[in-house]
Amino acid sequence: MSRVYGANELVEDVQRRGICIGCGACVDLCPYFKNYRGKTALLFPCTLAEGSCHAYCPMAEVDLDELSLKMRHKPYDGSPLGPYMHILTSRAGKNMPQSPYQSGGTVSALITFALKEGVIDAAVLTGREGLVPSPKLVTEPEEVLKCAGSKFMASPTLAGLNQGAKKGFRRMGVVGTPCQALSVTQMRNNPMNKDDFVDPVELVVGLFCTWAVDTRGFLPLLSAYAEGTSIIGIDIPPPPSDIMVAHTAKTRFEIPLDMIRPLIPRACRICPDMTAEWADVSVGVLEGKPEWNTLIVRTEKGRQLVDAACKDDYLIKDDMPLENLQHLCLAATNKKRQALNQAKEDGLLNTGEAGNHAAFRIPEGVVKRILTQNPEEIC
Amino acid sequence: MGKVPLVHDPYNMIITGVGGQGNVTASQVLGNMMSREDLYVTIGETFGASQRGGSVMSHLRVSSETSWSPQIPRGRAHMIMALEPIEALRVLVDYGSPETKVLCNSRPIYPVGVIAGDMEYPSQPDLRTYLEELTEAVWIVDATDAALRLGDPILGNIVMIGALERVGELPIRREDFKSVIAQILTADKIDMNLKAYDRGTELMRN
Amino acid sequence: MLILTEGREGERYLLMGNAAIARGALEAGVSVATGYPGTPSSEIVDNLARVSKERNLYVEWSVNEKVAMEVAAAASFAGLRSLCAMKQNGINVGSDFLLHLAITGTRGGMVLVPCDDPGALSSANEGESRHFARMLEIPLLEPGDFQELKDMVKWAFELSEAIHNVVMVRSVTRLSHASGNVTFGELSTFDTQAHFEFSGAFLDSRQGPVLSLPVAYKHAQQQAKLQSAMGMFEESPFNTYSGPVNPELLIITSSVCHLYAKEAISLLELKDRVGLLKLGTTWPLPPRLMEQHLRSTEKILIVEEVIPFLEENVKILAGDLATQIGAKTFFGKNDGTLPRVGELNPDLLVNALTKILDISYDPVSQAYVNRAKELAFRGAPSRDLTFCSGCPHRASFWAIHNALEMDNRAGFVCGDIGCYSLAMFPCGYGTLKTLHAMGSGVGIASGFGKLNLFGMDQPVLAVSGDSTFFHAVLPALVNAVHNDSDIILVILDNSGTAMTGFQPHPGLPIDAAGNAAPSVDIPAVCEAIGASVRFSDPFDLEETQNILLDMLNEGKGVKVLVLRQICALSPERKAGRMYDMALDESLCLGENCGCNRLCTRVFKCPGLIWDKEKKVAKIDEVICTGCGVCASVCPSNAISKREAI
Repeated sequence: MSRVYGANELVEDVQRRGICIGCGACVDLCPYFKNYRGKTALLFPCTLAEGSCHAYCPMAEVDLDELSLKMRHKPYDGSPLGPYMHILTSRAGKNMPQSPYQSGGTVSALITFALKEGVIDAAVLTGREGLVPSPKLVTEPEEVLKCAGSKFMASPTLAGLNQGAKKGFRRMGVVGTPCQALSVTQMRNNPMNKDDFVDPVELVVGLFCTWAVDTRGFLPLLSAYAEGTSIIGIDIPPPPSDIMVAHTAKTRFEIPLDMIRPLIPRACRICPDMTAEWADVSVGVLEGKPEWNTLIVRTEKGRQLVDAACKDDYLIKDDMPLENLQHLCLAATNKKRQALNQAKEDGLLNTGEAGNHAAFRIPEGVVKRILTQNPEEIC
Repeated sequence: MGKVPLVHDPYNMIITGVGGQGNVTASQVLGNMMSREDLYVTIGETFGASQRGGSVMSHLRVSSETSWSPQIPRGRAHMIMALEPIEALRVLVDYGSPETKVLCNSRPIYPVGVIAGDMEYPSQPDLRTYLEELTEAVWIVDATDAALRLGDPILGNIVMIGALERVGELPIRREDFKSVIAQILTADKIDMNLKAYDRGTELMRN
Repeated sequence: MLILTEGREGERYLLMGNAAIARGALEAGVSVATGYPGTPSSEIVDNLARVSKERNLYVEWSVNEKVAMEVAAAASFAGLRSLCAMKQNGINVGSDFLLHLAITGTRGGMVLVPCDDPGALSSANEGESRHFARMLEIPLLEPGDFQELKDMVKWAFELSEAIHNVVMVRSVTRLSHASGNVTFGELSTFDTQAHFEFSGAFLDSRQGPVLSLPVAYKHAQQQAKLQSAMGMFEESPFNTYSGPVNPELLIITSSVCHLYAKEAISLLELKDRVGLLKLGTTWPLPPRLMEQHLRSTEKILIVEEVIPFLEENVKILAGDLATQIGAKTFFGKNDGTLPRVGELNPDLLVNALTKILDISYDPVSQAYVNRAKELAFRGAPSRDLTFCSGCPHRASFWAIHNALEMDNRAGFVCGDIGCYSLAMFPCGYGTLKTLHAMGSGVGIASGFGKLNLFGMDQPVLAVSGDSTFFHAVLPALVNAVHNDSDIILVILDNSGTAMTGFQPHPGLPIDAAGNAAPSVDIPAVCEAIGASVRFSDPFDLEETQNILLDMLNEGKGVKVLVLRQICALSPERKAGRMYDMALDESLCLGENCGCNRLCTRVFKCPGLIWDKEKKVAKIDEVICTGCGVCASVCPSNAISKREAI
């Protein structure tokens, strides 16, 4: 039974315990939670015992099994890559500009296409103000590309979704990280049992994510190398490289990952979802082919969109090589296992009483399986 | 033409309300109305910070013998004129006695604590019951409503003064009011203030 | 009719204490009056300013009390009579000058009128001015009622000219802000041409330069002056006694306390047992008069506000006289008969007398009091202080508070003195975290802003009003700039000295008398000092908040943000409302998630009320002044504003 509490509990359960990821789910639902430069703050105490903020938060009393049963009509099984229909590779088609993309441009292509065709009435994307990531509500297809490119910083993108819902958009497309996709799924489940609830989201595009960095810690680091607005791209090359690379128009510089790792929020270390299991489609890099994406199609809606985009030359798809698939599966399994171990150690998994609410609830049998299975065997 | 003699000497009256209601003006007008050759008047006020939404009190002493202190002793208020209803009750704790009489405006000004939902504001029937239990007589008049109909809520305090004349305990008359306001107001305001005063006396006839 | 100037000799009027003081000054032919607005003194200069043209006076609201004293002293040096009025804090502010003035002496009569605030009814302290008279060795007079406020101020000028030194006449809130009957004397004018004579010998304080050196010589002269005053006090009509020749108990008192004592004696019917010695000349105490009265009894109760100044001086005298008059039993503050803090009232006197004389007195039954308390608990919810409806400070602190929360680094605001001091309370969202004296906000912030040297990483802010800026903030701001302190100063410019009655200050183009006057531009001064300056209208909540967030996160040094919007009580604002407000109840989210009564529970403008039955907010049309800010606060756009015609 998923438990919903209020804003004060949200502060206790999530912020005070250091597991806020700054996803923006609680921001702009009301005037009390606001995010500034990556930190979410409660401006005034709220006296309500239950609130949407706590209900939507991906780190507060999330019952993954219940959510899965309600939204996916099957139990949460803890499989490495989550439920899916197909796993493909893809990249932007000829009707999309060919650059600049983080890798294949699949996300930009799908969203641009969805806006053009009216599948969605607005896109909730992540842009930048200077170097600081900020939510952007986009209605014109031409504006989508401005938000392209991984920010690597945790961004309160879902504040854009909340703003969009207030403005009356009812078929929004959200591009977000796994925690954000999870939050949106909770929102769509009407956790506050409102009679007049209308789901304002049409489509969720998830992004693969192993970890993000805290904006306030990361920005001074970046600024030491180059002035904020001049940075046009950030990337982390695949192992065995141990660096982060950033580009300006003229230069390229490297930051050792050892300097970045301390800036990873604690929330990322307990997050079991690497491939955005709660999205309609999930997109990530394709190892070995920097101009392509890995594309996981999970729902019928996602499949329809991908097929239509390909038909209209917005997207090109291809088969996923087995080796890549195995690597992906291994990485996802490891993240799941590490995360659940950490969550258990921190008392955030399946705990109970007031003052010690759980971040996640997963059936014990599934937890056991995840922690004891041999990754080599299942991938 | 006799004026009403002092029922008590000194006669102690407290004018109370919320900062900004014209409490000070009311006490000054009443004080001047009674400042006759053979009467000593003392008025004690608190204003300044207390005006920012806080409770205010004027202590009015009238005597034929001597000047008294600007603070009325405990339990010695003979009359409480309240421009705001719950202030009458508040004042009774320190200065009331079973012999006290209360003339009270009906219009509430909600404390911010009530507006914020932290506290309850009593209903008028409840408040009247409380006041009647603690005092000898209670009159509640719709002074602010009368003032609003005359065009300016601030005239509420003048309506109350007119009502106070009707209570009959203090040596005040309409002529005194007229000569006092002739001294302190510009000509264009006198008429409106007289109307407010008369409205107050009318309200007490009902 | 303006009673202050048109009232004639022999006529009797009901007058506010401060007006009585002003009348006394006019009857003495004062030429120059200065001060700084401070409750409970402000009406003295306000009154004199109003009649300045008619009576040919120069009246000035000086930048602070020290300068006010200096300006008044100049008039005195030039042979004119001058008066300087302030609240108790002002004596502290001007004490450095006063220390030296007391040594140099004065020429034309100069009277200093501090109005103390026992009980801190409108202050952040209940400090005293009386001790300064003793410490600085100048005479102290304390009027005991409204007639004496006038008569003693008038006489103080004569005393000042007799001894050639400044005289302190101390009033208190319960006299200055109270009203009583005063019989007038004759108005007079001084037909002196102002001239500063300094050609005499170096040591000649009347005709030579005005100097405190040589100090020992001048100090000895100062003490001789005080002795001379003491001699005059022996016969002063302002020291009165009533009661039996040999009272069972002698009350020695001064100031308004004598009215409390008189009342208590009457209530307890002790006129034949208790004697009341009311002293008007309380420093130095006239020894022969004191001896005469101390002799008459064994028991003495000393009554004063606040700390035992009179009590200790009387005890010292009694100690000196012990061999002549014998040992006495003293009651007062030191033995706990009267409380050591707060103001007095007739009931505290009654308690003291019933205790000392072992009698009982119950004006009202305990049962009544208990029942009244019970009903009041239920029926009279307390009134927290709040900003007026339409006050720009509410909007300013909303933006400041929210910006600091969003910035999320435990930033804080050092407070200062004015209406905005209320921001330490919930009405200002508890934003102020320190509060001391005028200018202390920037002073303390200047200190905090250097502590990054010791690892402090919290943003430091200070607030100041426009009047406060000129009073004491300037030197502190220079300090911050020169010492490279990282602070943000938010100047809350509401175009006046609002808390005390909206007096003008150097930032405005008018003076105390209402004449046009050159104004000093606050932002230009800040820039000239070396701070960077930005502006915003506090009623534009979002803009103000964004500018603050930028300032909090960009660069080092001293930054100033000027929030300019006129006070809700100013004549200009009262003359015409900006907006007509409307609330659409169908859009109000009320207690629901998404709002939780933000406007009535958190924003708390008294113009908004919560309807418990309908469960929606409403606008109270009597209280609302139409500033329009709540329309930006409401998260569901239920409140709308329309420009008023």
